[in-house]
Amino acid sequence: MKKVLKIKKSITMTEELMQQILKYTLYGGSIALILIGIYGVLMKKNLIKILISLSVAESGLNLLFISVGYVMNGTAPIFSPAVVDKNVLMVDPVPQALVLTAIVIGLGVTALGLSLAIRLYRHHNTTNIDEIRNLKW
Amino acid sequence: MVADPILYVALPLITAFLLPLFGRIHKELIRIIPGFLFLFLVYNSIVLLTKVTTEHQPIIVQIAGWAPPIGINLVFSSFSGFIASIISVIALLVWIYSYKFKKIEFDNALKYFVLIMLITAGSIGVVLTGDLFNLFVFLEIVGLSSYPLVAFYRGRDGAEAAFKYLVIGNLASLFILIGILIIYSQLRTLNMADIAAHIGTMPQKLKVTAFIFLFIGIGIEAEMFPLNTWAPDAYSQAPGPIGSVFAGMTAKAGIYAMIRLLYTIFDFSSSFNLLLVMGIITLVVSEGIALRQSNLKRMLAYSSLGQMGLLMIAFGINTKAAVVAGLFIIFNHAVIKSLLFLSGSLLVYNSTDKHIKYTHGIAKKLPLTSLLFGIGAFAIVGLPPFSGFWGKLYLLMATADANMLGLIALILAVSLVEIVYYFRVVNGMYFKKAEDEIEIQKPKWNAVLTMVILALAIIVVGVYPNIIKDYLANAADTILDKANYIHTVLPSLAIN
Repeated sequence: MKKVLKIKKSITMTEELMQQILKYTLYGGSIALILIGIYGVLMKKNLIKILISLSVAESGLNLLFISVGYVMNGTAPIFSPAVVDKNVLMVDPVPQALVLTAIVIGLGVTALGLSLAIRLYRHHNTTNIDEIRNLKW
Repeated sequence: MVADPILYVALPLITAFLLPLFGRIHKELIRIIPGFLFLFLVYNSIVLLTKVTTEHQPIIVQIAGWAPPIGINLVFSSFSGFIASIISVIALLVWIYSYKFKKIEFDNALKYFVLIMLITAGSIGVVLTGDLFNLFVFLEIVGLSSYPLVAFYRGRDGAEAAFKYLVIGNLASLFILIGILIIYSQLRTLNMADIAAHIGTMPQKLKVTAFIFLFIGIGIEAEMFPLNTWAPDAYSQAPGPIGSVFAGMTAKAGIYAMIRLLYTIFDFSSSFNLLLVMGIITLVVSEGIALRQSNLKRMLAYSSLGQMGLLMIAFGINTKAAVVAGLFIIFNHAVIKSLLFLSGSLLVYNSTDKHIKYTHGIAKKLPLTSLLFGIGAFAIVGLPPFSGFWGKLYLLMATADANMLGLIALILAVSLVEIVYYFRVVNGMYFKKAEDEIEIQKPKWNAVLTMVILALAIIVVGVYPNIIKDYLANAADTILDKANYIHTVLPSLAIN
């Protein structure tokens, strides 16, 4: 009997540990994505790579938003009688709504940036920003 | 007719997306309908402003029937209403000016007016909204519609300027979003009044982090110094009237967001000093660079950045007199800079590099435009009897009250630099002989009408500053009274 309890206890402990690891992976991974994106925007010379980096940073931020709103073992935040009765945990719906908006905006910005990149390429025949330097201080 | 703050945002958005359909019915409609829209927005401002001033109570609109803090609300106070009115008046004037813009054909005119309406909706939305995430969305609308306007002409380096602006603007929105995320993760609310009421419960470290992210992000939009390298390129590559759209509308939205951030949302007292220092750096650096410019539009753009620096100084001093002066400078900057951009772009209309030398001796060929540019130049450096004088005078008086004597010397010294480079242009226009001939662009009657209206506004306010000063003192109270803002937006909260 004692052995069973011990095993159960260790299972819950591993579960908690897993949840902690999951949390830190989510936060750490998304922050790493943001940093990679910002690094790319600042250091890359290629127009397309700059735009890709912007998208990477944006995805990282969206992931971070979702992780902040995530509740352990929570379900999708959809109200139905079955869910309300059982007192089930739900994840926070607000960050999800925000992320949807942010994704749409990000899509618009990326599309616009790509079209500008195409025009710049046609005009200068290069995608290297060091060679596109007509404007300065 | 109805007047409601929600119409500020809803009408331009709907009209902008329906405009291509109107164009199918009749081609001339795409030029006429935006005018009616902007006229209605100005009417809307007049009705709402009189209502707010007589009732001494902000108008609060709950969108979709959800009360704040859950739903999104619009707050039309005497402060946000003032800036919203400036934006709608500038939009109307820009429409009159560009009603018969020479280089614009049907397709381009359609894009142009759609984008201007979207910018109007976005900037007024930034000013009116009471929700932090909604502010971000409106800032993105402003951004997404100003990038194509910068790249409007294919021949110029517009795409390069727009790409720069897009990358920097996108980084700004990233930072703003990170700041919003940190606040949301701690307080679980996005309503500004709700955040302001509970900001004290946030851990100090996270509060500072969120503030720095939001400050950097909004600083980019408000053209604060190390982050404003996009602005001169954008101003100089965009079509002429867009310079006044940026100076009168988007920059106003940026500085508004900055004021809300400092005065309402956060409760650091040292953040005002930060804004003050950034304002001083912006002012000195921008005016210094403006002195070296040989391109007229870039010179105007740097001078505009200098004015933004002056604004940040005014709001960084954080006394009532300084806030009134800041609001006065907001008015001046919108009106005078619009006049300068509109008349200045006519002076160098047909040259490709917009060099100042093309303006030499132009006063004989374009007497009225030169005179109007001269009025704008005299007004912006702060000579009486123009409105620019009062803005600077009030600011200097507020600085003296706050016992910052070094700052007075600095502002006066920088004004001297301003005088040097503006008088160089005006002197060249009147007293120098033309070196390089360019084809002269005679202004059409609508352009003249716009510029004369702006010049009259400058002179009338310059002679009778009290017609707006009393109102501005009222608006300054609404900025400084944070508890009242929270109370009016969330009446239930204040009882607890």
